[in-house]
Amino acid sequence: MTTENQFSLVRYYAAGARTGFQRDLQYRMATFMVLVGFLIEPVVYLSVWSAVARAQGGMVGGFDEGQLAAYYVVWTLVRVYNTAFDPKAWEWRIRQGRINTFLSQPVHMFHRDFSFFMGSKIAWTILWIPIAVVLTLVFRPSIEWHVVNVAAFAIAIWGGYAVRFLVLYVMGMINFWTTRGAAMFGIVSALELIFSGRLVPLQLLPDWAESISTWLPFRWTFQFPIEVLIGRLDATQIAAGIGYQAAWAAGLGLLFTVVWRRAIRRYEAVGN
Amino acid sequence: MSRPIGPGRLAYLHIRLGVQQELQYRANFWVQVVNSAIALGVGIVAIAVVYLHTDSLAGWSPDELVTVLGVHLMVGGFLRAFVFPNMYKLMSDVEEGTLDYTLTRPADSQLLVSVREVELWSLIDVVSGAGVLVWAVSRLGDQVGVIHYLAFLVALICGSVILYCLWIVAATLAFKVVRVDNVMQMLSGIYDAGRWPVGVYPFWLRGGLTYLVPLAFAITVPAETISGRIDWPWLLVAVGFTVVAFVVARLVWLWGIRNYSGASA
Amino acid sequence: MDDPVIAEGLTKTFKVPVREAGLRESVKSLFRRQFRYVEAVKEVGFRIPAGEIVGFLGPNGAGKTTTIKMLTGLLHPTSGDARVLGYQPWKRDKDLLRRIALVMGQRNNLQWDLPAADSFLLNKAIYGVPDGVFRERLDDYVDRLEVGALLDKPVRNLSLGERMKMEIIAAMLHGPEVVFLDEPTIGLDVTMQRRLRQFVLDQNKEEGVTVLLTSHYMADVSALAERVIVINQGSLLYDGALTGLSNRFSSHKTIRVEASDLPADLDGLGRVVDRNSAQATLEVERDRVSEVASKLLSAATVTDLSIEDPPLEEVIDRVFSGR
Repeated sequence: MTTENQFSLVRYYAAGARTGFQRDLQYRMATFMVLVGFLIEPVVYLSVWSAVARAQGGMVGGFDEGQLAAYYVVWTLVRVYNTAFDPKAWEWRIRQGRINTFLSQPVHMFHRDFSFFMGSKIAWTILWIPIAVVLTLVFRPSIEWHVVNVAAFAIAIWGGYAVRFLVLYVMGMINFWTTRGAAMFGIVSALELIFSGRLVPLQLLPDWAESISTWLPFRWTFQFPIEVLIGRLDATQIAAGIGYQAAWAAGLGLLFTVVWRRAIRRYEAVGN
Repeated sequence: MSRPIGPGRLAYLHIRLGVQQELQYRANFWVQVVNSAIALGVGIVAIAVVYLHTDSLAGWSPDELVTVLGVHLMVGGFLRAFVFPNMYKLMSDVEEGTLDYTLTRPADSQLLVSVREVELWSLIDVVSGAGVLVWAVSRLGDQVGVIHYLAFLVALICGSVILYCLWIVAATLAFKVVRVDNVMQMLSGIYDAGRWPVGVYPFWLRGGLTYLVPLAFAITVPAETISGRIDWPWLLVAVGFTVVAFVVARLVWLWGIRNYSGASA
Repeated sequence: MDDPVIAEGLTKTFKVPVREAGLRESVKSLFRRQFRYVEAVKEVGFRIPAGEIVGFLGPNGAGKTTTIKMLTGLLHPTSGDARVLGYQPWKRDKDLLRRIALVMGQRNNLQWDLPAADSFLLNKAIYGVPDGVFRERLDDYVDRLEVGALLDKPVRNLSLGERMKMEIIAAMLHGPEVVFLDEPTIGLDVTMQRRLRQFVLDQNKEEGVTVLLTSHYMADVSALAERVIVINQGSLLYDGALTGLSNRFSSHKTIRVEASDLPADLDGLGRVVDRNSAQATLEVERDRVSEVASKLLSAATVTDLSIEDPPLEEVIDRVFSGR
């Protein structure tokens, strides 16, 4: 009766993204408040580091005040692109039985969530623009604009999203085994805070800490896109960074398919 | 006729009940220990990184700045244990119309809505904050004397009361606007700004953090006091501000329930 | 063509931790947890031919939902086999998933914050329903369930019944060949239940959709299904015609008699359920029915006499209380 149905992943992504976009735009006040909430963190860091820079005669770790401002203003946009499906939400999804519907549908829920957040980012970006204008007027960031950097940024920010999405998604799988993952998520977010460049530009950490950050995924989701846009990286460094992102995405994607299969096997055995 | 119950006993009974309930969820204890350790660790790391690059931040030495972290954790633990859970309960009660039960009780309504819930395990933050504080103060040595301890106690109590007042005012807005959880969430976000002395912020922000969301009185002043640098005029202002805040919160609350009964009638 | 739903010896055993009360026990269980095994479904087997509606009955915890979960691929059976449209469901072949639908009452599967129309569009993409077919079906369903005015309202603002209608539409838009309905009418008022029932019945009659339906409400089952499968404590108790259910499970029939001169003493004939001067209702053992009826007819001037099966609810109730 229904052999005429034709599935297309591209069309599915369009529909999923549209849903995410509409949801967040419909609740634009709530979304906007969350965005404003995102501002507290970078404004605090920026104030602290500007104070340090001033105390040191204007420069700290190769950043002057204008560059610090640029770093933390772009920070706010990258922070938006770093939001993804929360590992803790898996517990709710399993307990409420929503996962049953998703499993009984012929599209992997990875695509559902990934496309949904893509759409939601577009809505957030629109709402971010007025905030960026205000931040620019208040903090006077200095950015060297280059077409190449802007183009590379457009790739790097989505690459960062993909990597972070996968990190959180893989972590979320823990909920299939235990409901006590919260402590682990807390430890990982603390590591992420320090080694992503979210707390402070990684150049300001001791050298050993900075070199650790190269081997973790977080730097490539956060500091890397920021530095691309504010013009602190040359073409080779940009290409290498995108390479790191691709490698992390591929590796995590592989890890996810393995863990997912086990998680579902377990779910099928235990049910809920 | 039954004798009316005193406010202290009422609060005690409620809190004891809340503690008993929390003891049912012992697993949360470990989660909270880990979270508290993380907050402490990240705070120390941030301070350490700053002092890699400078000797003094807005006039604060490293050990003095650690007292800010300690006070921030302690007051934050107090808020999460006693204030936030009650305010969220208040908001959801208003939303679902179940506040009526509380308002018909023969006791002060503001007191009742402020002591109904306890998140016991958040007190771990108070303990770890106090630990950090003791450590930092011991390193400051002679700089701190008995007078500072006494003044610190006053400043800490004032600060906690001020923040309680701020939150109950915000929650009371729920009577009017219904959905204020965004506001509450933003306030607890802003609270994080208190991890640093307000002196580091640009002047417009400093103003906001002194009079609007008074983190200056709640955290910076107590930390200044316990690190042996009492600013007597500011301490006096803090006491005065506390009294004003308490009166304002009381008036807003009374206005709120008047409005509420008016709306549901 | 083989039957679209086949279950053979389906068995599901769950391992559940034993929790003892008391502080000492709970501390002990931190170190060594004790488990016991619960057989949720035991050796259940049945076949559903294409185009049939089958009612799936059983008390809470009987294993209905577990069986449905195995048939929709959400649970892997401990032993036994099943085929839905020729596939083993727990392999979750995409082709199978495109041709079935699962509706669970009390579960919200629509985008909570958006109008239902948006969820429909998402489902259209999930199942790859072509534009024309989608339009046609949607118009038709919306018309029949009378939800045209609600399409643009966010789902969270809909009533429970309105939401359930939308859920059913969402589940039917891709034209599934087999539909599993788990408690679809739970919590709905009578009118709404009837409306949904009619819709399912029409889909079955017009499109030949095969339906497996669980419900607490006998009215659902008796309105839709001619055949019922009854399970209790995981085991299959009965599989057959709805009308045969009382023959099988009820040892009694109900005799209603009207007569102006009813004998005062009816106790010897059966259990008197209700009586007044001109009318009586008796519960009589099955094999004594004709004997009692003729005794009544000869003892009084009977104006009316009827022999009925007890109400289905009562029968089911008796089955489950483990008579």
